Amino acid sequence: MRAPIVRKLIVDEGNELFDARGMRCLAFPSDFSRIREYASTVLTDCPESFREDNLLEQQLSEIIKNAVKHGNRCDRTRIVRVWFDLRKRARFIVEDEGEGFADLEAWNDFYRKRQLALHDQDFERFLSLASYRGPRSGEEDGGNSLVAALEYWNGGMIFNTKKNKVGVVRWFPGGSGAVAPASRKEVP
Amino acid sequence: MEWRISAAGSDGFATISMRGDCDLYAAPAFAADVIARIRAGSKRIRLDFSAVAYLDSSGVGAVIRILQAAKAAQAEIRVRGLSGSPRKVMIMSNVISLLKEDPAEGRPR
Repeated sequence: MRAPIVRKLIVDEGNELFDARGMRCLAFPSDFSRIREYASTVLTDCPESFREDNLLEQQLSEIIKNAVKHGNRCDRTRIVRVWFDLRKRARFIVEDEGEGFADLEAWNDFYRKRQLALHDQDFERFLSLASYRGPRSGEEDGGNSLVAALEYWNGGMIFNTKKNKVGVVRWFPGGSGAVAPASRKEVP
Repeated sequence: MEWRISAAGSDGFATISMRGDCDLYAAPAFAADVIARIRAGSKRIRLDFSAVAYLDSSGVGAVIRILQAAKAAQAEIRVRGLSGSPRKVMIMSNVISLLKEDPAEGRPR
């Protein structure tokens, strides 16, 4: 039987994913009702080939939601900053003004147990582990955004030491999508 | 997102058809409604995602909470019509294996 795939959230302050040189930046107040609007704004000039239906917007929304809700506790005076680079691949850095994701190691442990239950085909145990509840989790929080994020951000998902800033990258099949459809030129 | 419930069919399953985005704004109320129905005695519910084009982690969480409530109440949940990015999100969240799926409406079983 194949070994289970158990990924981890990683802290690496010096990782190149935090190099924001050449990236554009937008700042947003922590307004919960506008999270999807923020993600859509960031992706205004995104190449169509990166969107994959709406997966990119959905995954970016999740990171912004974590910053707005868990980082800044929906305090509209606190800012979420999003750096982005949509050349060749989708790369983002999202930073909030909160205290940081203190439950990161506990979440890694939850995820490991969940994956082992899945590997063992123990669906009773898997279902009991299907939602993560940390000290600050609300009724509607389940840790599922991070499970999917570890799958989706195939170029990495790294936290800074304070854990209030995350860098992510997704590479796309077929290589560069740097040219937006509106400016794409057909080569004869 | 809106949802409506149809009377139970010949298989005994009542179908809840969703339309719109099952996202962080709509999913909590949806989960609360379905869970209330389960706790009120509904034993067979089918969730129809055919008209859902957007699903996020709150939607995934809603489905998990519904499954957990169903397990506690010995009720049965089936899903139908998961496709496109909502299906990909369920797969990436490793929740797809928890779901008992019916063929899309109109397709042969």
